[in-house]
Amino acid sequence: MQFQYNEEQALFKDSLKKFVDDNYAYESRCKLVDSAQGYSEAHWQKLAELGVLGLPFAEEYGGFAGDLPFLTAVAEEFGRGLVVEPFFSTVVLAGQLLASAAPDSIKTELLPKVADGTLKLALAWEERGSRGNPGRTDCTVVDKGDRAILQGEKLAVLGGGSADAMLVTARTDEGKLALLLVNAGVPGLTIKPYALVNGSRGATLSFSDVEATVLQTDALALVQACLDRALIVLCAEALGAMDALMANTLEYSKTRQQFGLPIAAFQALQHRMADMYIACEKTRSLLWAAIQADAQGDCRRAASVLKAEVGSGGRYVGQQAIQLHGGIGMTDELNVGAHFKLLTQIDILCGNRDFHLQRLSDLAEVH
Amino acid sequence: MSVASDQELEKFRLEVRAFLETAPTESILEAGRKTTSVFAPFAPTMAWQKILSDKGWVAPSWPKEFGGTGWDVQQRYIFAEEYNRLCLPPLLPQNLQMVGPAVIGFGSDQQKAELLPRMLSGEDFWCQGYSEPGAGSDLASLKCRADKDGGDYVLNGSKTWTTYAHHANKMFALVRTSSEGKPQRGITFLLLDMNLPGMEVRPIIGLDGCPEQCEVFFSDVRVPQCNRVGNENEGWSVAKYVLEFERGGSTFAPWLNPALERLRQQCGKPLSAQGERLIDDPHIRRRLAALEVDIQAVEHTEKRVNASLKHGENPGPMASLIKIMGSEVMQSFSELQLDVAGLDALPVQREALEIGATPGDIVPEAHSLAMPYYLNTRAASIYAGSNEVQRSLLAKAVLGL
Repeated sequence: MQFQYNEEQALFKDSLKKFVDDNYAYESRCKLVDSAQGYSEAHWQKLAELGVLGLPFAEEYGGFAGDLPFLTAVAEEFGRGLVVEPFFSTVVLAGQLLASAAPDSIKTELLPKVADGTLKLALAWEERGSRGNPGRTDCTVVDKGDRAILQGEKLAVLGGGSADAMLVTARTDEGKLALLLVNAGVPGLTIKPYALVNGSRGATLSFSDVEATVLQTDALALVQACLDRALIVLCAEALGAMDALMANTLEYSKTRQQFGLPIAAFQALQHRMADMYIACEKTRSLLWAAIQADAQGDCRRAASVLKAEVGSGGRYVGQQAIQLHGGIGMTDELNVGAHFKLLTQIDILCGNRDFHLQRLSDLAEVH
Repeated sequence: MSVASDQELEKFRLEVRAFLETAPTESILEAGRKTTSVFAPFAPTMAWQKILSDKGWVAPSWPKEFGGTGWDVQQRYIFAEEYNRLCLPPLLPQNLQMVGPAVIGFGSDQQKAELLPRMLSGEDFWCQGYSEPGAGSDLASLKCRADKDGGDYVLNGSKTWTTYAHHANKMFALVRTSSEGKPQRGITFLLLDMNLPGMEVRPIIGLDGCPEQCEVFFSDVRVPQCNRVGNENEGWSVAKYVLEFERGGSTFAPWLNPALERLRQQCGKPLSAQGERLIDDPHIRRRLAALEVDIQAVEHTEKRVNASLKHGENPGPMASLIKIMGSEVMQSFSELQLDVAGLDALPVQREALEIGATPGDIVPEAHSLAMPYYLNTRAASIYAGSNEVQRSLLAKAVLGL
């Protein structure tokens, strides 16, 4: 049973920690978030050099065949450092789904470019009405023989503005979930990019008679399996943010003086920080449980358990970190608020706590 | 317990409703809808204050002789209910609930005559110079110095969390005039203009990306001694009086009830062409109901405490109970509102939230408010005496611990 990173994974995690420490001082991160593009091409190239962008792919596609803990190691460091480059959307969501759903010719063409940093991808699946359920879409695709035509709208597509190509889910005439590949410049596709609350970028994608390549006509199981693995990585990012909030709050409580004492001396606040610590440790345990479940071939329940816990535990740690920092926690001048916003965003993405509790209930069998 | 009969109260309600339904302009209504914290958008809210001031309804809690309405607590509660039912922008509390009561309680006749009418009309807008970087929950430890020199005080130091200082032309401040004895002794309550030489205002960007709070720096700022309210070194009594007024003036339930109803109606709208509605989800229904229970508890605690007060009395330490309950239910409400908005809460929509902006086409307006409201409402358990300080106060003053 694995409950911590092995030596190789830990070394890799250290290299990412160094990347974050060297490039992600909070002031530089603020400048990056406010820039037109919202992330740094130079950072992206560094991530390619570090092997992050090809991490999960097979070696024949320019990857390193790193298993799930390598991805969660990256995500923890990115959550701690508030990294905004579109790693999750390009590699974890779209890259992994492409690797499991696309024919070899497309993988050979695209994955090496993802790995070397010359191609960005996005996965467009969430909609206003999907509420966490990938099987539920209003987008439609019609097969016209030589081509497929896509209609509909996707909301808050992570990295949707910077992607060169995107994977899109849509309903077929038979009511199945199809998976399509769409190029960013194709006629009929409108991309409205915007900043998301955590400072990264997303976009609304509107498809009006858009020509698309069909990768799969019945892809729900593939999409779901990919999302479950991605959930684990997303929650590792949340854990990185929670650990950072814990450390920063602890530090602040020892230096902030009120009533002639450091506020850490007050028992009410000591108990609050003990509860924050408990929330972090619960998430860490469930993260490793999900990693083990994935290694054993079925992480559906473990992924939902983890995501539901991150929803409430992340909310608690974020809210209490703000509360214990007081007024300064309500500003954009410290990274506390940015970690809090990241955790808030993670709860909403890919099905919130309520959705995953419902899914767990649905997966449970009653005899 | 009531001065007016039920019939008279109902008549009063209809009179209030008739005016509030017709008086606000379009941009005032827009400001009400787009309020994402306790501080409504400045310009339209001040325009609305002028309209209410002309009507004589701007300061229900003030004594009638200084421009109050002469309403009893029940009438004031009814006014708040009707006001919030229409989602009107809350008036900024600095003039009406903070500096006004201080001047009424402790000001000279000249200060009252000169300043109160301009506070009511909004001709002056006052900001609160209380907190400092090192003095938050422990306000009495404040250090901003006021040294006597001739007929002036000379101010050096800084203030922070000064809401809307960048809009204000006046400030009321607590400053240190003596360091002898207990820290509460030696604090003086001062009034000053914002354009004095040596003052600098720096807006602070909040979690929602907007400047609401400010830091204010003083470097040899000269304020005439006649701008003092109350006695020198006795400003703490003035501040305590105002803080109790600030807490006692809070009416959470009249705001929460219609907000919950709007959220429930929002859940009744179809999510997409397929027609599913959140209100059909049993879990959402139960969460709405649970919030209703919490809000009822706030409403009936507010009413019960109000009913026990004689005219002009403050609720004393029971104000702490209401502040804790009300602020925490506001926070639960903001969480449910966020969950209802779902993905729509993620895109940052700052431009679309400005008054007069063309509606954004990314997400529905109601959903674009959910995230800034959630983020800003985290402050409700920090400002006006943090909930930790309030709990200590309850333990000490009510439970006798």
